[in-house]
Amino acid sequence: MKMKELKILYLYPDILELYGDYGNIQVLRYRLEQRGFQAIIEPYSIGDTPPDFKSYDLIFAGGGADQEQGILAQDLIQYKDAIQEAIKNGVFFLLICGAYQLFGQYYKGVEGEKIPGLEIFDYYTEAISDRKKRCIGNIIIEVNLNGKMTKVIGFENHGGQTFNSNTPFGTVLSGNGNKFGDTQEGFFLNNVIATYLHGPLLAKNPELSDYIIQYCLNRKYQENITLAPLNDDFENKCRQQLL
Amino acid sequence: MLVKIGGNFLGKIAYDWNPNIFRAFQINCPIIAVTATNGKTMTNNAIGHVFQTAGKKIISNQEGNNMETGILSTLLKNCSLTGKIKADYLIFEVDEGYVPVIFKDLKLDTLIVLDFFRDQLDRNGEVESLILRIQEFLKTYTGNLILNNDDPNVARLGQANPDNHNVYYFSVDKYDYATTDMKEAGEGKFCPFCNTRIEYEYYQYSHIGKFKCPNCNYGDNEIYQLATNIDLKNKTFTIDHTTYQIKFNSIYNIYNFVAVVTCSRLYELDIQIIQKALSTFVLNNGRLEDLTIQNIPTIINLAKNPTGANVSLRILNEDEREKELLFVLNDNLADGRDVSWIWDINFEELNQVTRIITSGTRAYDMAIRIKTAGYPIEKIEPYLDLHEAVENFYKTPTKKYVIANYTSLQPTRNEILRLNKN
Repeated sequence: MKMKELKILYLYPDILELYGDYGNIQVLRYRLEQRGFQAIIEPYSIGDTPPDFKSYDLIFAGGGADQEQGILAQDLIQYKDAIQEAIKNGVFFLLICGAYQLFGQYYKGVEGEKIPGLEIFDYYTEAISDRKKRCIGNIIIEVNLNGKMTKVIGFENHGGQTFNSNTPFGTVLSGNGNKFGDTQEGFFLNNVIATYLHGPLLAKNPELSDYIIQYCLNRKYQENITLAPLNDDFENKCRQQLL
Repeated sequence: MLVKIGGNFLGKIAYDWNPNIFRAFQINCPIIAVTATNGKTMTNNAIGHVFQTAGKKIISNQEGNNMETGILSTLLKNCSLTGKIKADYLIFEVDEGYVPVIFKDLKLDTLIVLDFFRDQLDRNGEVESLILRIQEFLKTYTGNLILNNDDPNVARLGQANPDNHNVYYFSVDKYDYATTDMKEAGEGKFCPFCNTRIEYEYYQYSHIGKFKCPNCNYGDNEIYQLATNIDLKNKTFTIDHTTYQIKFNSIYNIYNFVAVVTCSRLYELDIQIIQKALSTFVLNNGRLEDLTIQNIPTIINLAKNPTGANVSLRILNEDEREKELLFVLNDNLADGRDVSWIWDINFEELNQVTRIITSGTRAYDMAIRIKTAGYPIEKIEPYLDLHEAVENFYKTPTKKYVIANYTSLQPTRNEILRLNKN
């Protein structure tokens, strides 16, 4: 029997990789392979053959440096329709930090310059005029995953303030969230999670990782796949310590 | 940490009292400064050692207090009551964020820039904004500028002031473990002048290597000092037919020492004296330090960012013997609270590592990182308590490698050295 597999598209791995974002891909691969599933990870970056977005099970994009993010926004925008179609088809999107912002209406920089977003979702982001002020620090949010309330732990570091996220990813327990002192964090709509919890978000949140894996397997194979439990000893101790 | 506060204390009081205090000193000798993300302390100390070997009287912040208060303390400790400084050279390492602050009022004769890597992003911000601040400072600077031509983010500074004709580039020839793909996270993928993607002939480590912009030729500079015949096994390299013997076996230290030679030659120090000085230079502070602990060979190295950790792992992997690794990771304020960077460390291709112990305040984060890279769980032992970690580490006679980040380095080193006293 052919091994069950998930196909993951990793967008701009050479540019959107500021905070160890690749960690998320590694965690997904690890948790799939440990259970006998195959993880096929395909990178796409500027200059590569255009990817067939809807043929993937999961699409991931991370955060990058400001200058480089401007360059890739121009590239990404040509795929707007294909991305929208993939979202409609139920492909799972995990978007972090810069990628979160790019899928909104726009990003308005400190000098008022506007980087247009993909305009797929209604939220928009504006930089604070004071360049030195950023939302930085450990953050814990509470997230509803299939009716189960789960604490998600991460680190945020963003100057952009995101407004109008009508369906947030989670409620802030400690930290900032979409804006300074906000009660809400990120954006979560069906098969799209977008968040400021940067870098290796999935590393400390095995329940979230498995939620995403389960969603993708269910959608692809349309059968009841039970995820075998893994040895999450380090993860649990790490969570205990931080919570 | 106590020592550190002590080192800065005088300067802190003076600076708080008068931020223009730098103007009060009478300095009649050249000031040489080294800045970078990685390699400042090593390079600063090596330059000091070479100049001293050449018989020069130097004043230097060799213990690494490199912000404005640290430099100030060094000056205060070495000046007369009227503020007169008596030395042939002042040699400083300077935090990359503080170059414009300190040298606003102190006349700088030579600035050496080694590299820029991502480092404690939650404290320092993006690398780009740091570079722009130094670039702004350099626009009116006309002193000597020694630049690493193999770091695109450093080489670009050579164009900050077109009227400065004292720009000297150094470079290092391809070494045995250089690659055609980037193996480690790096910066500067796009040309800062025309936004074209930069092309590399090879990478030495991280984004350090031979690069050029295919569109505007940026990177194609005349090289003042080029190191060739890089031999890490015998710890030698050659510049202009002269071979230098050093005591370190890593590619990033070759870059540091080529900077040292470049600077020393610029001040016309004798080649034989430079050779002699470098052949004896060591730094006993946990920067690639060789120790023997209970008869077990041990190498300790500082790693406060992904590049630092990756070059440490390069050294470990280039060693064919069996070994064990202790990785200590703290998330104190001085380390940066964000430990995301450990996911940019290459744990995927460990060579002959039979056990890994993690410790520090974020021992578990480190353990998760290493496990996810595919290293067997049963060979990973996390201990939040450093003492317990070190005790367990030395239970086997296998060769030891220790990597520790900023605030964990000295406590780890002390804990290890204590074993020899038992």
